[in-house]
Amino acid sequence: MAFILFLAYLLLPMLAPVVYSFSRVWTGLLPQGFTFAWYHRVLTDPAYVPAARLSLTIAALAVLINVLVGVPTAYASYTWRGRLGPAFRRLMQVLPLVVPPIILAPGFLIAFNRPPFALSGSFWLVVFGHTALGFPFFLRTVYAGLSGIDVTLLNEAAQVSGARLLARLRYVLVPNLLPSILSGSLVVFAISMGEFEITSLLAGFGTITLPLLLFQSLREDFRVASAVASLLLYTTLVALLGLSLLRRR
Amino acid sequence: MRERWLILPGVGFLLFFFGYPFLTLLQESLTSSGHLSFVHYMRALSSPLDLEAWRNTILFALGSTLLAVLGGIFIAYWVAQLPLALKRVILSLFAIPVSLSGLVVAFGFIVLLGRNGILNQILADLGLPPLNLFSWAGLISVFPFYNIPLFSLTLAPLIEQKVGELMEAARASGARPLQAWRYVLLPSLLPGILAGASIVFAGMMGAFGTTLALTGLNKNLLSIQIYALVSNFELSKASALGVILVLTTGFGLYLLTRIERRQA
Repeated sequence: MAFILFLAYLLLPMLAPVVYSFSRVWTGLLPQGFTFAWYHRVLTDPAYVPAARLSLTIAALAVLINVLVGVPTAYASYTWRGRLGPAFRRLMQVLPLVVPPIILAPGFLIAFNRPPFALSGSFWLVVFGHTALGFPFFLRTVYAGLSGIDVTLLNEAAQVSGARLLARLRYVLVPNLLPSILSGSLVVFAISMGEFEITSLLAGFGTITLPLLLFQSLREDFRVASAVASLLLYTTLVALLGLSLLRRR
Repeated sequence: MRERWLILPGVGFLLFFFGYPFLTLLQESLTSSGHLSFVHYMRALSSPLDLEAWRNTILFALGSTLLAVLGGIFIAYWVAQLPLALKRVILSLFAIPVSLSGLVVAFGFIVLLGRNGILNQILADLGLPPLNLFSWAGLISVFPFYNIPLFSLTLAPLIEQKVGELMEAARASGARPLQAWRYVLLPSLLPGILAGASIVFAGMMGAFGTTLALTGLNKNLLSIQIYALVSNFELSKASALGVILVLTTGFGLYLLTRIERRQA
């Protein structure tokens, strides 16, 4: 019974925006009327469409950097014999705990607004911020993937048959790790698409992402807000659904 | 292995995106008009408002962690006994809150518990007082949405392994359920409980997305103070509060590992 109540506590806050976004009015206990009007308004709004495009671009770049940096890093630190490998993995577990995301905002604003690394404009600041926020999650997923395959054995087999590093990465490692690379990417993508708290500090006025608009309309237009909130929820759900499908294979 | 150099991009990444910003933050917090100075820390530690934020943050994190631990142990225990297919579904469900936008969660709770929220209407119809979502009690009741699934996921592998073998052994030797919990199950779960508590505690010390979406800048927490300072571009003071936050979180985590060591 208590367990059912808890499931309701988890599910109701997720269902509420969705029901709200499809209902014409919802003032009493139950919603009334079915409508696509709020979605239609979002999709034709001159502010929301570019914001959504910007959010997608930023999320895609954050995923790309994570894959390019994270896969070699996870591989090298996983196969590193001796103490340094495990120490590095331990650091990656502890780092996001000790350094909360809120610290990232003032840190980035100080570090990247002055020489030698002055990033003019806030676009890349936001991209790098999202990349850094997702990095520990990405590494964790790839580590889980690496522990599921026998890296040493695969590597030795490939080496014996004369495959060089690039060939081994390309034909042996990446195909075997693909499910976990993809699920790590989906997590980074979902985090980036929904992030608003750090973004609002890094973005200034130039880089208005979808969640930043939602943050504003939470006070102004609750109807449109419900549609945007639902769209963000669908993004997360699709990402996680893909993730659990990948796990099952 | 000759491929150790592959770690270089990662190390560079960490230095560039974590190390360097944190060092500049530290430097900023220790600098006043170009000189080494503790003035930002002195100001923070002598301002009643900042001290209150510090205290609120610690109490809020501790309270939320306690709730997550109490609720999470039972939820994880229940989940461990479910049939495999259902267990999979529930565990995937538990993965949603972590990567869900704080705004979506805030919106969901506003629909349910806001001024005209459905649950509050039901409470009113039953003649019960409404829950004010925008109060401390409201915030405390929103965060288990994140923390209990997070805690349960951390504890799940361990409890899965222990529940079957240990509880049966304990009952077979005549222990009552309460005794079995107290003397057998809980001690053997302690490492997992502490690991989960650490993750929840550290997260709650810095948590502010959902708080910001629900109560704006109204609640006096360190994270909210830092947010407000950064939005006003008062970066020196924000840095000092940030360093205080990191040190406090680190100290709390250190205490939790001490408990584990003493038990072992």
